Amino acid sequence: MTEAPLLKAQPLAPGSAVLPDQAPSRSVIDAAVRPVVVGFFLTSLAWLLVSTVLGALTALKLHMPGLLNFPFLTFGRLAPAAEGAFIYGWCSCACMGVTIWSVARLSGRASPGTAIASFGSVLWNGGVLIGVVSTLLGNLRPFNGLEFPLASFIVMFAGFALVSVWLALTYQSLAKPSISVMFIVGGVAWLAWSLLTGNLLIASHSVSGVVQQIVASWTATGVLWLWIVPVVLGAAYLIVPKVTGHPIYSGPLGRAFFWMYFLTAGLISVTRLSGGPIPLWLSSLSAAASLLLVVPILGSVYNLLATAKGSEVAAASPSLRFVLFGVSVLGVASIVFAAGALHSIDYSVHFTLFDTGVRALIVRGAVSMILFGSIYYIMPRLSGCEWLSSSLISFHFITAAYGACMGAGMLILSGLAAGSALSDSDSTFSQVLDLGSSYYWGHTLSFALLLLGYGSFALHFLLMAVRIGQPAGEPTLLPTQHGH
Amino acid sequence: MSRSGFLFPGLLACFAVSIGATVLLPHMQLGTLTPSFKEEEGQISEVYPVASVSTATNGRDVYISQGCQACHSQVIRGTETADVDRGWGARRTVARDYIFDAPPVLGAARIGPDLTNVGSSKWRNEPEGDPVRPEKRDAAWQYLHLYHPKAVIHSSNMPAYTDLFAKHKISGSPSPDALKLPANLAPEPGYEIVPTADAKALVVYLSSLDRSHPLKEAGVVAAAAPTKK
Repeated sequence: MTEAPLLKAQPLAPGSAVLPDQAPSRSVIDAAVRPVVVGFFLTSLAWLLVSTVLGALTALKLHMPGLLNFPFLTFGRLAPAAEGAFIYGWCSCACMGVTIWSVARLSGRASPGTAIASFGSVLWNGGVLIGVVSTLLGNLRPFNGLEFPLASFIVMFAGFALVSVWLALTYQSLAKPSISVMFIVGGVAWLAWSLLTGNLLIASHSVSGVVQQIVASWTATGVLWLWIVPVVLGAAYLIVPKVTGHPIYSGPLGRAFFWMYFLTAGLISVTRLSGGPIPLWLSSLSAAASLLLVVPILGSVYNLLATAKGSEVAAASPSLRFVLFGVSVLGVASIVFAAGALHSIDYSVHFTLFDTGVRALIVRGAVSMILFGSIYYIMPRLSGCEWLSSSLISFHFITAAYGACMGAGMLILSGLAAGSALSDSDSTFSQVLDLGSSYYWGHTLSFALLLLGYGSFALHFLLMAVRIGQPAGEPTLLPTQHGH
Repeated sequence: MSRSGFLFPGLLACFAVSIGATVLLPHMQLGTLTPSFKEEEGQISEVYPVASVSTATNGRDVYISQGCQACHSQVIRGTETADVDRGWGARRTVARDYIFDAPPVLGAARIGPDLTNVGSSKWRNEPEGDPVRPEKRDAAWQYLHLYHPKAVIHSSNMPAYTDLFAKHKISGSPSPDALKLPANLAPEPGYEIVPTADAKALVVYLSSLDRSHPLKEAGVVAAAAPTKK
């Protein structure tokens, strides 16, 4: 395992968002974090494939309930296993890889003892494995988004704690932290607090009855909205200026949106329980916060798009294409999410697949695309060579983008169709199901696209990890209309 | 304090607002709920809810373990929705309904019907008078439904939970628990299909589900109780 002494690069100039990438000490930092970052990326991609296969089976079972009717593959176990592998396996592992690399680079140093972080990665992945296997074997909790048993969270948390220790040692408090650092550090801090607090409150039986569901909803919502989404926003704030060479369009607005984001996203947690046996004020608070959340998200999206505007490399850079696509989808998704939180719409679409569709749009269309873009950006710096094939990158982009939007769109349409009938007592329940099921085939087909896209990326990544690629120096660019 | 010095205190403040407003306040409001009861001349009656018997609790574990909550909710919403009109319950459910559930199995989606009150004889998933409506959903019906859903609800999209049942060779007289299966599902002569302990516990749990007891905060007051105008 690489053990580097405390390595220092030149400190970040205050207020500067763009750094030259040639400083030799950057390559020393990259070499120090390479094992742990590549390890996290590698395992994240394994989870991505596992989750997509489980997700494809789940999708098939929606219209073929009798398919592969084994107890460990029943819909009620497959769905949370696929979701857990996606959120805690793919998204969280990739986010940790991005976090470790960004914090080291932005702090201008890599603290020794990356082995600690690597061991953390083993523990985290072990925890996810325990969670997925336990869920399939029927040892699960009835909490949406927090189905993995407590044991898996204990192991995951131990791993995360080790990673956090390394991050804390490396993190250098800057006079004026970049927006990127603020989002990433905010995400790490929130995950640490919420995983610990949420699981402790539930496991210690400090809360009972419906409040247990409220705590679970708060914890699971925090994992997506206050750990994964902030980290990918932070990655976007890092990559967009670096690739385009433009300074961030508005630093002060970016910071203001950061604070507004963390304040409002912290209050949306019970939208998944709205209309249920919780106080009405709590439903209303969550709905209002979901509406308000549109402001910092659209603001950040605008800030990032305006930063990239007019850039000549924007069309040709693979990382930028993925990141900007993901960022734009995040903007759209925040509007759909807010619309779904309105009481009048929630009453009809709640308990349909609308919610699953919006989540799919966020995690596959926005988060995953930004994570892919980040990996496209980071890996050449760790491997010392460039991506092998621009056609493979184009193929990945098209399949992943279409697959994500098509799958999410089908679920959202299914939810709207089923919801309109569900809220109308003249429709029988079997009519509700029939209306919703018209979109199931489209949803299933989207998984074929996703498997092709994710599979091709995993292959490309493996080649990169063993340093098979184009010679360093000339980045692999995508063909553009101007004839690259 | 430098600008970076605001980052962690600021994040901590956001965290405090989040957990304070959406976890601690609801806990203060709902955490102390106790069963409702009627008191007349020192006699306490109509205590609701009551803790379940252990078989039902075991059945609840089977329900969770099989992942039933992925497709079945246990939440009745107010009259803004069609939940009550569908026959799933007489009133909306409130936090007091779930005080003995650790945790309540509220469910994620309705790919199947809501089961909040499935143990009540009044529960229905079909319009009144619909010919497809089963005459009664007793234990025998539940077993058959779990073993082969389409045998009782032709349009059912529920998978068959055959692993909750066992095929036994009939020795002596047939088991009283044996499923009365239609000819196309029946095992070969000399054999019978019987529910396992898990299936029995699950059916006890399902039959115990009835949250229709009147509660003031749910907008329904017991008919016998005096109401103030």
